[in-house]
Amino acid sequence: MPTIALDAMGGDHAPDAIVRGAALVSTTTDIETLLVGDVERVQAILDQVPYNPEHLAIVPATGVIDMGDDPREAVRTKKDASLLVAIRAAADGRADAVVSAGNTGACILGAAGHFTLLPGIRRAALASVYPRQTEHEGQDRMALLLDVGATVRCEADELVQFALMGSAYARRISKVHEPRIGLLNMGAEPSKGGPILVEAYRRLREQTGINFVGNVEGHDLVRGKADVIVCEGLLGNVTLKHLEGVSGALEDLAKAAAEQRLVWRVGLRLLSQGIDRVQALTDYTQYGGSPILGFDRLFIKCHGRSNAHAIANAVKVAAKAVRDRVPDEIRDALGRMR
Amino acid sequence: MNMASWLGRSRSTALPPLLCRWDLDKTYLRSEFATLRQLWRTARERGEDKVEVPGVPEILKGLHAAADRRGRTIGLYFISASPPQIGKAIRDKLALDGVPYDGIVFKDQLDHLRRGRIRLLREHVGFKLVALLRGRLAAASGSRELLFGDDWESDPLIYSLYADILDGTLAVDRLAALMARVGVDPELRPEIERLAGDAGGTGGVERIFINLERRTPPAVFRLYGTRVVPTFNYFQTALVLAAESYVDADDVGRVARSLVERSGYTPRRLENSLADLVRRRLLAVDSAELLGAPLRDAGLLPPSGIASRRWFQRMRAAVQQRRRRLVSAIPRVARATPLDYEAILDRLAAARASA
Repeated sequence: MPTIALDAMGGDHAPDAIVRGAALVSTTTDIETLLVGDVERVQAILDQVPYNPEHLAIVPATGVIDMGDDPREAVRTKKDASLLVAIRAAADGRADAVVSAGNTGACILGAAGHFTLLPGIRRAALASVYPRQTEHEGQDRMALLLDVGATVRCEADELVQFALMGSAYARRISKVHEPRIGLLNMGAEPSKGGPILVEAYRRLREQTGINFVGNVEGHDLVRGKADVIVCEGLLGNVTLKHLEGVSGALEDLAKAAAEQRLVWRVGLRLLSQGIDRVQALTDYTQYGGSPILGFDRLFIKCHGRSNAHAIANAVKVAAKAVRDRVPDEIRDALGRMR
Repeated sequence: MNMASWLGRSRSTALPPLLCRWDLDKTYLRSEFATLRQLWRTARERGEDKVEVPGVPEILKGLHAAADRRGRTIGLYFISASPPQIGKAIRDKLALDGVPYDGIVFKDQLDHLRRGRIRLLREHVGFKLVALLRGRLAAASGSRELLFGDDWESDPLIYSLYADILDGTLAVDRLAALMARVGVDPELRPEIERLAGDAGGTGGVERIFINLERRTPPAVFRLYGTRVVPTFNYFQTALVLAAESYVDADDVGRVARSLVERSGYTPRRLENSLADLVRRRLLAVDSAELLGAPLRDAGLLPPSGIASRRWFQRMRAAVQQRRRRLVSAIPRVARATPLDYEAILDRLAAARASA
């Protein structure tokens, strides 16, 4: 079974939620988890929950990279931080993949410092899953958006590589046979978006082995037009935060409405079962985390607010990606790149 | 074999006789009786159908063999809440496993059924206390005891009550109040009080091993003090027994080998189990290293495991002043007062309510 290095000290609810997530995995699967962090604190949490020690090891790390730390400085100075020790465990072959809910910038920089880019890859990409409608049979309820911040500005070549990586990942993890690939742009026409996007569109059209469906616009993001949406990191990050913001604003509006008028409160109560079902369908904790793609080792970045359930699912996703040989799939896809 | 014949085998030796008492279901056997269907199936199983918890026959054989090597008298007994009607299947299973034992006590569940006392089918505290105390009074004076149970029902509570009775720290009137709260069969209470009066003050329970079959969080057992040792598998149990000189390193090796060869364990899983014991301070770092070395040589633990880890080395450095030898990491129990049984019963009640 795969061995997953888990940064026990990274995240808003670390180490409690992280350790509890690992404990959950240990009692329900054969995955071995290396919990990297403060041994005493980690064991103190384990003592309080059901766990199976046969599938858990604790690797000591004395430092922590905080969510507010400057990533570059932290990676340079905090060599014994749990995140970097976890990454080194994977780089050394002791683990097959890394999972962290910690500082995103430090995750990317740490991985870049210790892992090797796959042959031909110029830049790594941070992908993110988000809920959307489905329009075609066999589509996943979650779409993959990449890059969402690892590479701020991109060339056409890099966007093509992101498309190939995202397609390979979706094929393996979401089990979508031919994921629909879209290029995020300001119009559907091939000539839109400036020279880089025009060139990327042309190159993607020529690729074999991927199902490119053309440009997708902002309003297509939550539809089922594409399963994998490709964009540069700056745009992807703004888009992702916007989606999260809209979702939060809708929730706040509903709460405010419920507080103001009884009839709205009753209406919301009547709809509550349906709302719960929609929330369950789109619950990010079910999907664990987002992959950093392009390296020879797998890295799953979890939401900073991840609870134990989300962490457990992230570890399972990492193990699945290892078992399904996602890096090999990406390597093969890049070998066919035109 | 009954207790009298076991006494007949007693030998004069420097080490006091060792009495090991085992629960059967969930401790020795992987019994399933969460549903009526499973209960029915378990009742109809033959010896060859029954499945043991991995490594447990090797522990029993190891305890027996180690006692023989030391010239120590040992008695191995099972106390089961199963009815005597399944006795043949149990005895067949133990014979198949080649386990040496001296007796089995079963609970007369049919009598409760006949008399319509359904609640008492699942109430084992009274039955087990009677069996333990009767066995104790029949044992050689000065015997030391190891008790083995699991985390499914009330084994830690029963064994702790018994140990405190023997230590003389649990007065009969307090025991009576606790039995009333637990709901012990009223017909058994006078006998338990009488037996407790006869056996009390002799001491003798050294360790209570609880097999964490349900993966109950270890912190739950803090209420029971250091006498109770919760372990996640019988490799861990074997390591603690070896550190306390009840078995030898070779016996631990046999348990480890059986887990690897017959139960799908990997050296890494055993390594993680070993490290867990050290972290929970149930095994001293020195002992872990001494017991681990031959297992690494035999390929039963990874070659560069725990000993190469920095935290392990730091812990070892702290004890380097001492001569390397097998030592127990767990303090001996020397209490003048019984456990806080009210807190224990409150916790058990809360656990049952949440289940």
